Amino acid sequence: MPVRPGAVGAARVGALVAAAVALVLAVLLSLAVGARAIAPSAVFDALLHGGHSNAAEVVRGLRVPRTVVGVMVGAALALAGTVLQGITRNPIADPGILGISQGASVGVVLAIAYLGIHTLTGYVWFAFAGAGIAAVAVYAIAASGRGGATPVKLALGGAAINALLVSVTTAVLTTKASALDEFRFWQVGSLSGRDADLIGQIWPFLLVGVVLVLSVARGLDALALGEDVAKGLGQRVATVRIVGGLGATVLTGVGVAAAGPIAFIGLAVPHIARAVVGSDHRWLLPMAALIGPVMLLVSDTIGRIVFPPSEVPAGVMTALLGVPFLVTLVRRKAVPA
Amino acid sequence: MKEAGEVRRVRPAGYAVLRAGRARFLVHRRASVVAAVCAVLLAASCLAYLCVGETFIGPAEVFKVLTGQPSPDELVVGTLREPRMVVGLLVGAAFGIAGALIQTVARNPLASPDIIGISQGASAVTVAAMTFGLSSYAYLPYVSVAGGVVAAALVYLFAWRGGLHATRFVLIGIGFAIALRSVTTLFMTKGDYLVAQQAQIWMTGSLNGRGWAEARPLAWALLILLPCVAWAARAQRTVSLDDDTATALGVRLGRVRLGLVALGVVLASLATGAAGPVDFVALLAPQIARRVTRTAQIPLVTSALLGALIVVVGDLLARRLFSPTELPVGVLTAAVGAPYLIWLIIRSRAVRTSSARSGGTA
Repeated sequence: MPVRPGAVGAARVGALVAAAVALVLAVLLSLAVGARAIAPSAVFDALLHGGHSNAAEVVRGLRVPRTVVGVMVGAALALAGTVLQGITRNPIADPGILGISQGASVGVVLAIAYLGIHTLTGYVWFAFAGAGIAAVAVYAIAASGRGGATPVKLALGGAAINALLVSVTTAVLTTKASALDEFRFWQVGSLSGRDADLIGQIWPFLLVGVVLVLSVARGLDALALGEDVAKGLGQRVATVRIVGGLGATVLTGVGVAAAGPIAFIGLAVPHIARAVVGSDHRWLLPMAALIGPVMLLVSDTIGRIVFPPSEVPAGVMTALLGVPFLVTLVRRKAVPA
Repeated sequence: MKEAGEVRRVRPAGYAVLRAGRARFLVHRRASVVAAVCAVLLAASCLAYLCVGETFIGPAEVFKVLTGQPSPDELVVGTLREPRMVVGLLVGAAFGIAGALIQTVARNPLASPDIIGISQGASAVTVAAMTFGLSSYAYLPYVSVAGGVVAAALVYLFAWRGGLHATRFVLIGIGFAIALRSVTTLFMTKGDYLVAQQAQIWMTGSLNGRGWAEARPLAWALLILLPCVAWAARAQRTVSLDDDTATALGVRLGRVRLGLVALGVVLASLATGAAGPVDFVALLAPQIARRVTRTAQIPLVTSALLGALIVVVGDLLARRLFSPTELPVGVLTAAVGAPYLIWLIIRSRAVRTSSARSGGTA
């Protein structure tokens, strides 16, 4: 990223401010747009002065929780993707492609089907466990053998784990028909119908994940130079990978438990952020945390108005917007095999 | 290689020459033996498939039914098990050949229709059709063939950049697979609960309730495609050479590759239409075939036989393991196939990629 040394700080601060402004706009859009369009002035009115008009009730009761959850999930997935790309030194790493989201899904399915757990605080732990096991498995598969964890091996390892986990899920859902009805709506990845209680349940986990991830920012920078250089700079490579991986797993678990497996945010956002502020993780991580929610909220808002009166879930919109992105990425870069 | 003058008379090691009139064929000895053994195993599995079930029926009775003699077990064997088995055979063979062709072109054992988005494309369109009330199985095959072909065409188109780079192809395929899967889940939420259940089972790949209605069109399609498969068996050899050699020999690589992939996609989509995307058969069968025969190319006949064997045995187990609950056969093939794929990745050396036509991009 060719940034002039003198202008570095100013340009990056400017970029962060611009991203923050974009986030505010996305939040406003998310509050104002939907089956019932509400003017921004009315939105502010509802937020600041209360009131009991229909518009105010819609904004406060439905859209505020949904938007806040969107901000949290978007930030969580974007951070997870950034860290995974840093740890694996691999441009196409992301929780979905690596099978980590699917791992969290299986945890949730098993909790719903066999333990009768139907609350988020109940199954978030299963989501963590599933995500963690899948993450370790994929990395172990890709890193073994010759050549280490190349992009292709990681993607294929993820595909294999995905397929295996999907077959487990299907086996459970065919034998436990009652679980399917609950699960099929959650599986799509959506922000609709998320209420304020959810926010109270997920913020502690989100905080833990963010702290873990930020603590390895310097280590990820060193790792980008190669393992040997990182060791020479006095970084404990293994510790950086484990702590970062743990952070990414927790964040993925939070995102998946709260909104279902939402694809491609973790893949696309780190690249956009890198294009704006360069590859220094101390800038990259905050930037990703700002851009992620913008992308998710905009996808969610578009999904609300594409096919009225029904909604296209955010998870589907991000996937549809993410494919062109991935294609461009793979075509532009010669991804080493 | 020998001198050009000697080539006509020299027989490569491990090959026998078959003469039929004036035509001569080189036959790989080991491959022929393996194919024969696979055929015997397949016959045995088919017999087992017809005998075993809710009620066990002796081989003697099964033969009576098969040869058209009157028998009290006509209903169970002839009407319930036999057509379902035939669908399994055809689907497995189609997946086996499709996998062999696509893996040959991608030069990568890991490129198979269920990883690069073809199966997901077929699924997405089919589940959409189910959701919008097209639940009769008569039309579904056509719908899913269309879906698979379109998905494959898109992946091919986007992966093409002055040549087909195997790695790019696989990565873009995986991306498409993910996106199409999410579209499928979207349609799952649109229909009512019963449609969702039907779609869920179909998506895993199941032979439940399949019969002559699915077997006939599939059999016809395979018959019609037989000459193409014969061509593919020859064309395969040139594609598995390195690019420079093949081009020097006057092979139009681009066209041959496209033809092979197209044939593979059509076969995979046909099979998906009949039984849903039975995961991993297309990956497993060619790989096992190649390892057992030790030939340079993936042998098509053995791949077809092994594919059929995997699906028939898999469905037999899926019917009986958790009876009375019947699992979709796809759950079983995935449970066996995914670990195998993982083992392949662990053992894989640096994947060979075609570098000759990358259009100057490093």
